[in-house]
Amino acid sequence: MTHQGIGEFEQMVLLAVAHLRDEAYAITVVDEIARRTGRSVGRAAVYITLRRLEEKGFLSSWLGEPIPERGGKARRYVKLEAAGARALRDARSAAERMWRGLDPASLRTR
Amino acid sequence: MSAAPTRTPPRVARALLRSLLPGDVRDDVDGDLHELYVKRRAERGAAVAVAWYWLVILSFIMRFTFDRLARALRSLAAGEAAPSVLDIKLGARILAKSPGLSLVGGLGIAVAVALAAAGYAVVNSYFYPDVPLNQGDRLVALTKFDNQARREEERLLYDFLAWRRELRTITDVGAFRTIRRNLVSESGQGEPIALAEMTASGFQAARVPPLRGRALIDADERPGAPAVVVIGYDVWQSRFAQDPSIIGRDLRIGRETHTIVGVMPEGFAFPISHQYWVPLRIDPRAVVAPGTGPSLNVFGRLAAGVTRESAEAELRVVTRRLTIGGAPELAALQARVLPYTEVFMHGEVGGSNETMATLRFLVALFLVVVAMNVAVLVYARTVMRTGEIAVRTALGATRTRIVAQLFVEAFVLSGLSALVGLGVVAVGLRMFDAALVGILDGEVPFWMHAGVSFGTVIYTLALAVLAALIVGVIPALRATGAKLRGAMGSLGSGAKAQLGATWTVLIVAQVAITVAVLPPALLKGWEMVQEASRPASFTAGEYLATRFVVESGAEPAAIASENDAAAADTARAIMHRLIARLAVEPGVAAASITTGAPWEGIGATLEADGRVTEAKRAVVLNVDTSFFRLFGARILAGRAFTASDVPLRYVDRPVIVSRSFVTEVLGGGEAVGRRVRYQSHGKDPQPWLTIVGIVEDFPTAIRNASESTKRGARMYQLAMPGELRDALLTIRLRGGGHTPETFMPALRRIATSVDPMLQLSHMSTYDAMYRDYTKGGTQLALVAALVTAVVILLSGAGIHALMSFAVNQRRREIGIRAALGAPASRILKSVLTRATRQLALGLGIGLVVTVAINRVSGGAMMSGTGLLLVPVTVALMLVVGLLAATGPVRRGLRVQPTEALRAE
Repeated sequence: MTHQGIGEFEQMVLLAVAHLRDEAYAITVVDEIARRTGRSVGRAAVYITLRRLEEKGFLSSWLGEPIPERGGKARRYVKLEAAGARALRDARSAAERMWRGLDPASLRTR
Repeated sequence: MSAAPTRTPPRVARALLRSLLPGDVRDDVDGDLHELYVKRRAERGAAVAVAWYWLVILSFIMRFTFDRLARALRSLAAGEAAPSVLDIKLGARILAKSPGLSLVGGLGIAVAVALAAAGYAVVNSYFYPDVPLNQGDRLVALTKFDNQARREEERLLYDFLAWRRELRTITDVGAFRTIRRNLVSESGQGEPIALAEMTASGFQAARVPPLRGRALIDADERPGAPAVVVIGYDVWQSRFAQDPSIIGRDLRIGRETHTIVGVMPEGFAFPISHQYWVPLRIDPRAVVAPGTGPSLNVFGRLAAGVTRESAEAELRVVTRRLTIGGAPELAALQARVLPYTEVFMHGEVGGSNETMATLRFLVALFLVVVAMNVAVLVYARTVMRTGEIAVRTALGATRTRIVAQLFVEAFVLSGLSALVGLGVVAVGLRMFDAALVGILDGEVPFWMHAGVSFGTVIYTLALAVLAALIVGVIPALRATGAKLRGAMGSLGSGAKAQLGATWTVLIVAQVAITVAVLPPALLKGWEMVQEASRPASFTAGEYLATRFVVESGAEPAAIASENDAAAADTARAIMHRLIARLAVEPGVAAASITTGAPWEGIGATLEADGRVTEAKRAVVLNVDTSFFRLFGARILAGRAFTASDVPLRYVDRPVIVSRSFVTEVLGGGEAVGRRVRYQSHGKDPQPWLTIVGIVEDFPTAIRNASESTKRGARMYQLAMPGELRDALLTIRLRGGGHTPETFMPALRRIATSVDPMLQLSHMSTYDAMYRDYTKGGTQLALVAALVTAVVILLSGAGIHALMSFAVNQRRREIGIRAALGAPASRILKSVLTRATRQLALGLGIGLVVTVAINRVSGGAMMSGTGLLLVPVTVALMLVVGLLAATGPVRRGLRVQPTEALRAE
């Protein structure tokens, strides 16, 4: 399998899914990212990213029970797959290699 | 809010979301947003929740649309969905497999594309033409637009002199006007020609050197300079047989003899369509003021690096300075710098820009309607291929890939059809160019050439793509949509797909439109054919007609303001002399001057006094006192015009009306002595005109007396020879050994001998004129017939597709019933029921629309023949529908029980 890199937003979504474990579905993913980063997140972007990550095999999904407050629709839960976990680790180690030997203080701008 | 608060999201927004989101995320997003909505509503209230929901829905739709687009582009770029040669082969094979569908669909698209492309080519060559001169796009027209009168101010002499002196951003500023003079041959025959009276700078602006001799030079413009003329290549060839020693020869134009000083090269016709150029002479001592002098066109070339906008800015500054201290109305004039051709095109051939835009829109709409129709046909086929599509999807084909393939299949059809359409356009435009020469009297502007240009080809290609998108992609998207998964589940049992409500609506609408549109179309077409095929039974060979113009006496040298009253007096005197001269000519029985031939005239809305209050339409023709005698039209009541009517003021002169006018406009009864007037568009009413006589319906009298004409309401106004400066002279020849053909040269000689300024053109026999008049109707009827045929064909094809589909869907049932011994008639009946219902519904709606159209059109359609056409159309559609249904039904009856059951 060829190595597939992931973008920053994809990383955040994967990490949120990893944090949420069994409670991960689009709404909680949005909230988790917002809570941890303090950034507002476009909801549609999260769906599009979840769909893409599932197509890449980084995530898998399954449907829960139908819920009346959702108009009888079930939640689509997502779970981190091995490929997703690997991609996250790769991204992290790549970032760390890039950081190595760099003093964060030296990044101060004028 | 009056209703009990609901806890569900706004229904419309939700439906929008569900219809526009991809199927695989639709339920998830819908559920999540529902959940959030309920939560938000509990926390913040209904209003906030509703607003939030709408905003979020819109943002979702936008994001997902972009995502879809990006995915499609990515997969195309990655070559996954890129169409291959195989797709094209497949497309061609599918076309060959269903030749009927291909032929009908292809024909429909070809006709629509041909109409649209022809419209495009014609509009472009008239309204956005390329000027075929060196840097022709730098040529500009300098005008002044009268904002109050909404027209161009033509008296530009004063401005021209100033512009020529002062403008820096525009070079080679020149002016011209077109004058008409008789070119007098050595035998004394006068033949009217158009001359460009132009400044020498015109040749510099055009940047075309002469072929022989010289062009006009500034010295030619001086008063008293020798009269010279430059001629065009065509004239040099046709009139002088390319005489190599042409320079220095004399040419008699009007009352003056000019020396030929140059010959321009082939194709040169600047400023418009000219073949003779004489200098525009301006007397520097003549006092000119703004808004006086002759009508002129001013032109020039943009200086290097100057835009039209900056040139216009300078023009406005210069022009404003000229108007300071002048008459206040001059301030309303706006100086403009226009592309050179624009100023000649407004209000000329083809009407206004708005009309052309509307026409373009209608043609494009027609294409869309045809393409939609073909799409419906193709959809039926695509739906039947759902199984194949499902298999391909299962084997890993993406949706984009399948849609792309169906697009290519459709493009093979639309591309081929567009090619055929383009061929038709190429031939049609050549004919149009030829017709234009006739319409414009051979004076076709040099930039006007409606050939198939590169732009037209690109436009046609775009149309083919558009058609393929509608024909291929819409059915493909529908067939590969959410229902695909269902189709995959039922692969073994054959095509179970349903043709939805859309299909039914389209078929019903199509039949309805056909029923509603056909009767009026047929009626109009039939009238045109009747009109065209009616023999012009004049007393053949006795009538000769010619248009004539009495050019005002102003010679090129005297360009100071023309005196209209004096010119009219001169014209009147000349015409009197001509009529008097013709009266003594042997063989001339009578002569008459009118605004047009008896079957022509101008439509007008007239009001009658007395009990009839409603204004009615009638055709008005201006005639002289000898008109009715000339054509032998009988006066039924009252009297004809007499010489004593002539000296009256124009509005006091009596009118004569036709018999049909009495019934249609006046509502019958005694008509002599009653009064009519034109409907007023302003505040003041038009003056009353008194009817002094009733004439029999005319021109029927000079055609075939037994036939009646529907447009018989005619009013004849008395005009004087000379009042009509551009009119038709009709001569009846009897005895004297003349036929119209042999009398033509004699007439030219007589006219020139009366006055060289009297110009005769369009000399023709009445028979030939009548043929020309009817030819247009025949051609229009042909186009109408073609469009009607396409409509019928498409309707038939639609019904055929519906029947095929219905039969295919029920193959198994038919087979079993046949096996169980059901009679063919009963099977037939049950199969036909659905299609017949749709047919009947369409016919019903069509009839209602027909009645509505009839009401709106004031009953014009249902009267007489029109009434008969409605059942005829209904019957025709029934026959077409039944014919279209026979094939599929026969196929259905041939279904073998074993074969039908094998599918299980």
